[in-house]
Amino acid sequence: MGEALLSVRDLQIAYRVSEGEVRAVDGTSFDVPAGTITGLVGESGCGKTTVARALTRVMPGNARIAGGSARFAGRDLMALPEAEMNRLRWRDIAFIPQSAMNSLDPVYRVESQLNEVLIQRGGMTRRQARARAEELFDMVGIEARRLRDYPHQFSGGMRQRVAIALALALEPKLVIADEPVTALDVIVQRQILDQLLELQRRLGISVILVTHDISVVAYVCDRVVVMYAGQVAEAGDMRRVLTRPEHPYTMGLTNAFPDLQGAIGILTPIEGAPPNLLNPPSGCRFAPRCPFSGAMCQHRPPDVRAPEPGHAVSCHRAGEAPALRAAAARIETWAAMA
Amino acid sequence: MLGLKQIGGRLAQLIFVLWAVATILFLMFRLMPGNPLAAYIDPTFTEDQQQILMAKFGLDKPLWEQYFIYLGNLVQGELGDSFFYRQPVFDRIIELLPNTLVLTFSSLLVAYAFGIIVGAWLAWRRGRMVEKAAIPFVLTTRAMPEFWLGMILLAIFSFWLGWFPAGGTRPAGAEYDSLFALYTSADFLVHLTLPALTLAIYSQGLPLLLMRSNMLDVMREDFVTMARIKGLSGWSVVVRHAARNALLPVMTSFAIAVGYQIQGNVVVESVFSWPGLGRELVNAVSASDYPLAQGAFLMIAVVVVLMNLIADLLYGLLDPRVSHA
Amino acid sequence: MPSDATLAAPADRNLLGRIFRSLHLPLGDPFALVGLAIYALFILVAIFADQIATHDPTEILYTPDYDLAADRSPGADGFILGTTSLGRDIFSQLVYGSRSALLIGMTAAFMVALIGTVVGLVAGYFGGLVDTVLMRMADIAFGIPFLPFVIVLAAFLEPSIWNVVLAMALVLWRDTGRVIRSQVLSLRTRAYVEAARVCGSSDLKIVFRHIAPNILPLSFLYGSIAIGWAILTEASISFLGFGDPETISWGYMLQDAYASQALSTRAFYWFVPPGLCIILVVVAGFFISRGYEEILFPKLKE
Repeated sequence: MGEALLSVRDLQIAYRVSEGEVRAVDGTSFDVPAGTITGLVGESGCGKTTVARALTRVMPGNARIAGGSARFAGRDLMALPEAEMNRLRWRDIAFIPQSAMNSLDPVYRVESQLNEVLIQRGGMTRRQARARAEELFDMVGIEARRLRDYPHQFSGGMRQRVAIALALALEPKLVIADEPVTALDVIVQRQILDQLLELQRRLGISVILVTHDISVVAYVCDRVVVMYAGQVAEAGDMRRVLTRPEHPYTMGLTNAFPDLQGAIGILTPIEGAPPNLLNPPSGCRFAPRCPFSGAMCQHRPPDVRAPEPGHAVSCHRAGEAPALRAAAARIETWAAMA
Repeated sequence: MLGLKQIGGRLAQLIFVLWAVATILFLMFRLMPGNPLAAYIDPTFTEDQQQILMAKFGLDKPLWEQYFIYLGNLVQGELGDSFFYRQPVFDRIIELLPNTLVLTFSSLLVAYAFGIIVGAWLAWRRGRMVEKAAIPFVLTTRAMPEFWLGMILLAIFSFWLGWFPAGGTRPAGAEYDSLFALYTSADFLVHLTLPALTLAIYSQGLPLLLMRSNMLDVMREDFVTMARIKGLSGWSVVVRHAARNALLPVMTSFAIAVGYQIQGNVVVESVFSWPGLGRELVNAVSASDYPLAQGAFLMIAVVVVLMNLIADLLYGLLDPRVSHA
Repeated sequence: MPSDATLAAPADRNLLGRIFRSLHLPLGDPFALVGLAIYALFILVAIFADQIATHDPTEILYTPDYDLAADRSPGADGFILGTTSLGRDIFSQLVYGSRSALLIGMTAAFMVALIGTVVGLVAGYFGGLVDTVLMRMADIAFGIPFLPFVIVLAAFLEPSIWNVVLAMALVLWRDTGRVIRSQVLSLRTRAYVEAARVCGSSDLKIVFRHIAPNILPLSFLYGSIAIGWAILTEASISFLGFGDPETISWGYMLQDAYASQALSTRAFYWFVPPGLCIILVVVAGFFISRGYEEILFPKLKE
């Protein structure tokens, strides 16, 4: 594996709220190697979407970058002047939103929304844009005549394809997909993921796929970053992390979702809720919900360990992983926490 | 496109409303106390002469018969003769309508251009001092009696500074070959300024507040965020996406505002002696010139109802979610 | 919603407190507070007009040397705002004008809110033919040009300040009626209304106990706007000469000033104050309606 396309280090994002400041992302680090699909997975509120949006530097008004860096092709996205960041947007870093329905402007034809990007951002002529738009629709499997349609005239799955076409318009190096299939039914989900995987392989681009669904990660990702309470719990090669997790939270997550190949085992939920980030626990953030937490876990945040190159885990008991995995597979282990 | 069936339905509704308004008007004018011809009949007329007159106007017939004659005449655009001008009401109204329409449209165009731009700008400055101060100020302009604003402007710019004439559409004695020649003359513009400004100041509040609140809603939409993530220019984000969407209901309100303004014009036309439908209505009512008052009222009602319909159709036309359903 | 809280709260023993609470006054909003303060001020002025006014507003005044005290500037000879060209005291007219303004404003607002609410409730709750008939009536009311209608009405009836109230009651219920109807349509499907229906509550009980309390703020919102409408309309009508010549109102004062060439003599002290009073009262209504809007649509608060 060569130089990472994107390398996030100790990223801190804070939201101003009436009660104070929330560190929604608090010291997150991970790499996205070129030409891979990296899954960013976790429960809602874990900060995965905040990370994704921070990489575009388009954030809600009450959010600010409180520290850290995100080196993309040699440049720190968090420190770029706004004008330069804007040049990178969409040409190098594109975005596929969760709901294409709300993210396509309802009053313009899809064609004109593609043209807007191709002409304004891509510098194409109208004629070139026309040809490229048809090519893009062909890539995502939609007839070219539908370019003349308005967003509301497409079905949910078709709209998501339009969103993919839009993201690929300027041949970006990195595509960030924020829950791209969450709003769709399972069959359409698979079609869209197949499409995404096929195009990613064909074009050799990198994708960050934000999802709460570990089965989506298992289906398409090369690598996975498991986030918990604004921090990375575990990151590494997807097969390695999902088959031999080292962090109890990852173990819990893999238990809570149907098996990758569709064989449905007994689903075991992780009891409890993520901590309030206004006032996070002083030790390991997962400790209050962790069946294996000890005294150390309550008091000291764990260091990041690397059991092998390219794998990172943030757990005091990472060394005992095989034993913990055996225990985590038993439903009683988690039920005891209830 | 909007279905023919829907348009047909709305047209039927329009005709129904107009019929109802005409009926109400008929009843008001016929059932009210007093002889409708009181203003027409010379006190020296004998009883016989009065009877002849009554017969001439059809007032000797039973009420229901009068009603059907009235409806029949309306359909043919026959509104009777003005007592005062001794000329067909219809001709008189058609003569005055353009003056009213020019005043209404010019003031509303100014008001909407201003309101839309400032409203969008205020939404963008959400929470700043200027926004906080502007809202009560705009509400105050909505609370002003239009004619009072006209009086203030008249007192300052006409009587005091002498920059503008005190009323009318043209200098005394000036004649023009055509309406077009009048409306494009510098004299007319000078006469138009104060009344149009009065109406514009009063009217800008609606598009302004509407635009502002729509903008605030639209700015929260995902597609606006996406436009920024796409790295589009600030202009594209704010104008092409946010403002374009926020504009839809504002455009619809324009048609409603025309209908509304045309009834409100009554007072401002009177302040500025503007020879329009509203002032004519006031004069006709004062002079008990019932056919003219009735005709002017109906004409105003037609514009109001028509504009309500246009507002509906416009929305369907401008919003692809409706027009391309 | 505060109205839900009112429903759930134990019966208030204090009658005055109960009436006060049932008004759902939007006391949390600074704008609304300003509006209420303006109302309070004008209500006090109207009540104590006899004490506050320095002269009889209709009396033609003379100086001690028996000269007509006409066209006096503010402050001259003890006339706070000066006198009219006929020698009447402007300040006293202004004070008495608040009486007719509030009288017309409040009654008209009450009528509009009441009729609109009843129409909206009945149309929305019962639906069917009743709904169709009432909504077609609203369509017709929307087709009637309001100010011309008032003029014609005022011309036929005896000159009176009540003409404006009558015209508003006949025409302006339309907006309130439509909005409340659609609100009722959505309330009707709420779980607790369904529950009441399943439990066998009568229609009347459901409407008054479960639906009406929830739409009251909406009625008040339209009522507080209607106060301004009524005052503006009365002013317009008086200005056009269709008002009651016996009643001193702000509109009458403006008509008097306009007809007496006050514009060309630049007697601003004559025609500016009545306009400002109208603005104050009308804008107070707008401010209060904003307060109700915040109660009804809290997202605006954000």
